[in-house]
Amino acid sequence: MSDLASLTNSGPKQQRIARPERPERRQARAGMVLFAPALVLLILILIVPVGVAALLSFTDYTLGRPSIDWVGLRNYIDIFTGSSYRKMIVATVLYVALVVPASVFLGLGAALLIRSLNVGQSFYKTVYFLPVMASLLAMAIVWEFALHPTLGIVNRTLAMGCGTPLELWSWFARSCVDGFPLWLGDRDYALYTLAFIGIWQSFGFNMVLYLAGLTSVPTELYGAAAMDGVKRGWERFRLITWPMLGPTTVFVVTITMIRSFQVFDTVEALTHGGPAKSTYVMIYAIYEKGIAQNLVGLGAAITILFLAFVMLISVAQRRFVERKVHYQ
Amino acid sequence: MTYRFSTRQTLAHGFLILGAIIVLLPFYVMISTSFKSPAEIATGTGGVFGSQALFPDPTCLALGGNEPDCLVRPVLDNYSQAFTAAPMWRYLLNGVIVTLSIFALQTLVAVPAAYALAKLKFWGRDAAFALVLFCLLIPVHAIALPLYLMLAKLGLTNSYAALILPWIVSAFGIFLMRQFFMTVPDDLIDAARMDGMGEFAIIWRVMLPTAIPALLAFAIFSVVAHWNDYFWPRIVITGDRSLFTPPLGLREFKGDLGGDFYGPMMASATVIAVPLVVAFLLAQRRFIDGITLSGMK
Repeated sequence: MSDLASLTNSGPKQQRIARPERPERRQARAGMVLFAPALVLLILILIVPVGVAALLSFTDYTLGRPSIDWVGLRNYIDIFTGSSYRKMIVATVLYVALVVPASVFLGLGAALLIRSLNVGQSFYKTVYFLPVMASLLAMAIVWEFALHPTLGIVNRTLAMGCGTPLELWSWFARSCVDGFPLWLGDRDYALYTLAFIGIWQSFGFNMVLYLAGLTSVPTELYGAAAMDGVKRGWERFRLITWPMLGPTTVFVVTITMIRSFQVFDTVEALTHGGPAKSTYVMIYAIYEKGIAQNLVGLGAAITILFLAFVMLISVAQRRFVERKVHYQ
Repeated sequence: MTYRFSTRQTLAHGFLILGAIIVLLPFYVMISTSFKSPAEIATGTGGVFGSQALFPDPTCLALGGNEPDCLVRPVLDNYSQAFTAAPMWRYLLNGVIVTLSIFALQTLVAVPAAYALAKLKFWGRDAAFALVLFCLLIPVHAIALPLYLMLAKLGLTNSYAALILPWIVSAFGIFLMRQFFMTVPDDLIDAARMDGMGEFAIIWRVMLPTAIPALLAFAIFSVVAHWNDYFWPRIVITGDRSLFTPPLGLREFKGDLGGDFYGPMMASATVIAVPLVVAFLLAQRRFIDGITLSGMK
């Protein structure tokens, strides 16, 4: 019947007569209908998989086998007692602990230096942001070549330093005799090398966030501080800039942490978790155990552990933002 | 304008140039190597762009060609191998199909939901928004294993659907568009309702045009993330080369050629990295805004 009404009258008044529904009710129904697809998809794609992973982490499920058995906490016990999983936790935590401070500090340093420039601000900003844009996998393969023990530009350049005063540095002198490191092929260097690539890739992102944070520091504050006798650059930074950047720093630290926890591309393409599991990070472990080796139960348990880490960081950030970083 | 010499400024430039050299090093290595012949790569000679001296192509010689017929120019040989040794065009096309489909579907799902959350009062709206905020905490990469199992059970692995489906709902996209729609005045919507527009028409003809800047930023965020994504395609595409995205193709290329074909490999890496880098250089501001969007939370 409403079809008939809209055929004869298309004005809003007549429509309201044809549909005696109150506008609030119509709005409420429209709201539910419009949100419904997103609701269904959020639940199916994000919530259900978390539940599935939680359930499977207590089983010995493998893809393609019909039977499935509960194994209780077995998978978790394996993770916390097996030596390769201890290496996984160590590698992941060490990687995050290396990348986060360096990437945040370099991002902040670059932002402060760039802000102080009279010329060339946008040039440096563009250059430092390039790695964020470029495909990490492609750049990882390039880094692998650059770090190639014999063909790579890095060791070739380092070798040019032999016979110069650089040899006063005992590590350098030793490398000149024994050869420079294999970088990705040496278990003492591999994780640090991956961390370096991680820092190289991510600090430009932090720089841009800090540049945005710096523009929101009111300039009057510096004037007021100068009146109070705070003139030296370091004091100004310590008393004004750094506290005012608090919210930015909390955010930058959180996002860098969550991203570095998820490192995969460089590990899969360059080291496969080796040598000697020194770069066996969690996401790579999930991939290797859960998908490549089809040990779904174990992979699911690592997934749950991983989610717990990430949630912990995010919750910590939100509490931190609510409590400490409060300037208004 | 002239600037007086200042020690401070010079020092700052010094540090920043040093940083820039390290940042640009792999880009230089990539492009420079893609210009060089195998001999130049092996000996580390040839300067920036190689000498471009002709050299005999080994596969051509192996097929029984005589040397003068087999001479190739290093840069041309590297790039033509990048496109012939692997179906590079196919990879690039797949990359375009996947990234654009993901963005289109994300918009289709997120914009109505964001409009509902921002401008319509309905039962459970606060809970719905809380759900979106909660989902922001779940990185899709972290739940890759259960997602993969679900797709495998549905028989969808090794398909475009597998590459696209897990990404079609973006909690971040909903959140972002909702924040933007909150700033659109209610009067605008009321006026549209007076004109007899339905809610659906309001979304696409009134709300979306006002949100173009936000949508564009989100588009860049989404396209960059999915063009460069390697983890998810690696999991769901096994074997079927015709479905490879550019990073997967490059990885396969590396595996196939082994150690000695750095020239063609660097040429492939350049081909894959160049579209986004060039787009970035052309529209830096928009890109920086788009990619740091997550900083708006």
